[in-house]
Amino acid sequence: MAAPGTQRGDRPDLLTAGLFIGIGMLGLVMSRHLDFGSLARMGPGFMPRIVCLLLVAVGLIVGIPALRRPAHAIEAVRARPLVVITVAIVGFAFAVTHFGFVAASLWLVITGSLADPGGRWRTVLLLAAGLTAFGALVFVKTLGVQVPLWPL
Amino acid sequence: MEFLDLLMLGFGEAMTPANLGFCLIGALLGTLIGVLPGIGPTATIAVLLPITFFLPPLAGIIMLAGIYYGAQYGGSTTAVLVNLPGEASSVVTALDGYQMARQGRAGAALAVAALGSFFAGTVATFAIALAGPTLSGFALSFGPAEYVSLMLFGLLAATILASGPVLKAIGMILIGLLLGMVGTDAETGAERLTFGALELFDGIDFIVIAIGVFGFAEIITNLERSGSEGVSVAPLTRLWPTREDFRASWRAVLRGTGIGTFLGLLPGGGATLASFSAYSLEKKVSRHPQKFGTGVVEGVAAPEAANNAAAQSSFIPLLTLGIPSNNMMAMMLSAFMIHGITPGPSVLTNQPEIFWGLVASMWIGNLLLVIINLPLIGLWVRLLTVPYRLLYPAILLFCCIGVYSMNNRIFDVVLAAGFGLLGYVFRKANCEPGPLLLGFVLGPLLEANLRRAMLITQGDPSIFVERPISLTMLVATVILLALMIMPSFRKTRGEAFQEEEA
Repeated sequence: MAAPGTQRGDRPDLLTAGLFIGIGMLGLVMSRHLDFGSLARMGPGFMPRIVCLLLVAVGLIVGIPALRRPAHAIEAVRARPLVVITVAIVGFAFAVTHFGFVAASLWLVITGSLADPGGRWRTVLLLAAGLTAFGALVFVKTLGVQVPLWPL
Repeated sequence: MEFLDLLMLGFGEAMTPANLGFCLIGALLGTLIGVLPGIGPTATIAVLLPITFFLPPLAGIIMLAGIYYGAQYGGSTTAVLVNLPGEASSVVTALDGYQMARQGRAGAALAVAALGSFFAGTVATFAIALAGPTLSGFALSFGPAEYVSLMLFGLLAATILASGPVLKAIGMILIGLLLGMVGTDAETGAERLTFGALELFDGIDFIVIAIGVFGFAEIITNLERSGSEGVSVAPLTRLWPTREDFRASWRAVLRGTGIGTFLGLLPGGGATLASFSAYSLEKKVSRHPQKFGTGVVEGVAAPEAANNAAAQSSFIPLLTLGIPSNNMMAMMLSAFMIHGITPGPSVLTNQPEIFWGLVASMWIGNLLLVIINLPLIGLWVRLLTVPYRLLYPAILLFCCIGVYSMNNRIFDVVLAAGFGLLGYVFRKANCEPGPLLLGFVLGPLLEANLRRAMLITQGDPSIFVERPISLTMLVATVILLALMIMPSFRKTRGEAFQEEEA
């Protein structure tokens, strides 16, 4: 972090402005071919365009004053939980259709546990087995979620 | 007489063994997540929403409602015993509650909180039963113009009454509205904002967004804050409050109940705002305001009564007008929708058993909460020692199963993971994602009613000021906007939420 006074810009607010303006612009681009219609007969493009324009406007109102405010950093990003959890979820989605619930659930719990560096292997494996059994019993057997338990 | 008949019908529905069981499960689960910090009621209900699909409508809704008000009880237990508010709404309870616990009066604090909550819950339940038929009769005269104005008022009021910067909240609502438009346009059949993906033609499921933004993103942010500090539990002594405690707290409970019931009705109100307001009111009317924060029983009684009353009365706008007033109610709305019930005035006439069954179950649930909470406090506190390391894989699994079971598609799970990343970025930008859900749920309703209103008048917007109810709503919206710009109001609003950030 730089010393106060040397840098300007409220980073969380600038990020907010970036998000709002970015999403607003994306929406405008994607709804450009939609019919705007008239007030009496609104086309499918009416609301999206209005909402996107408002969103861009709000983004500007948030962003411009933030440029001049004293520097304020964003909380540090730690890549480990972010990446591990996302990979675990996406992996679960593919595994559950191709390899069945048991494999997918084991994968999710074991990989997901890597997001926290403090875990011990014994606990993780026990937890994975327990949760998988619980999930198979409650969700698949009792509640009837349509998932094969084992690889086909 | 008819009122009693309907209430009896409700109790008949709520007292069936199955419904009683789901009420108990909901209350227990709510207490559990209320006790555990890092798991909020919004995320829990998001996780359990898909499961209610497998239950009968009333049972599912009873359970979800139980989770919501149960969490208010559980949150206060940890606030008092370990100075760790389980929910945002019990942050102020910790101020005096923990001090009481350190003086060895933990039992009294918890009992006052539980009994105050029960009283408040009873009053608020009666408020729903009384206000329901009246308000929904009134709502039957609403045309599209009234609904548009009401929703505009609701959305704006929700941003002002909630904590956090107003502009960011408005932006989040707009993003929610935009997400609600993804898919095939209901009126023209044109597909909008779908990136050409076939899976998006039916729109995005509420559960995908809710689990992504609340479930997944919350897990990731929680894991970033490593190291849970050692929890020191205050010793539990005698449970029953002294006569002195009762005398000091009954007025506070009454005031808290009143303020909570009223604030719960307002859009964006809900439990958190109610408990903060009740605490500051109590401090103002007290004869010894300087003692607040050192363990006075009123400081526990008032906010606890208020948050429970508000948790219940925030059901009123949803059940009578069909308009959710905060993100929890947006969840409840989609729980109704899963079962093909559109909340609103017609439920009361066409399916009275749903409305009255829910009202009756709320009262039963509150009673159950007192019964399960007071003797089991020791057990709940022991749960605090379960490390997050063992909890989050379970939450992760339930989230994944929940999203997948909606349509049995890989796509939904991957999309939810994407929303998880988005929710994570929002948190880094200090944007509270709650209003997004509200915008998402209200978006389609707002658009349909706006179109209808404009179609009727052939594009003449003066209908919004010609109809009296609509005009009132719009005037209220303008007043709110004006207040927001005034510096003195901004200062007061900042103070009201100051303690929360501390």
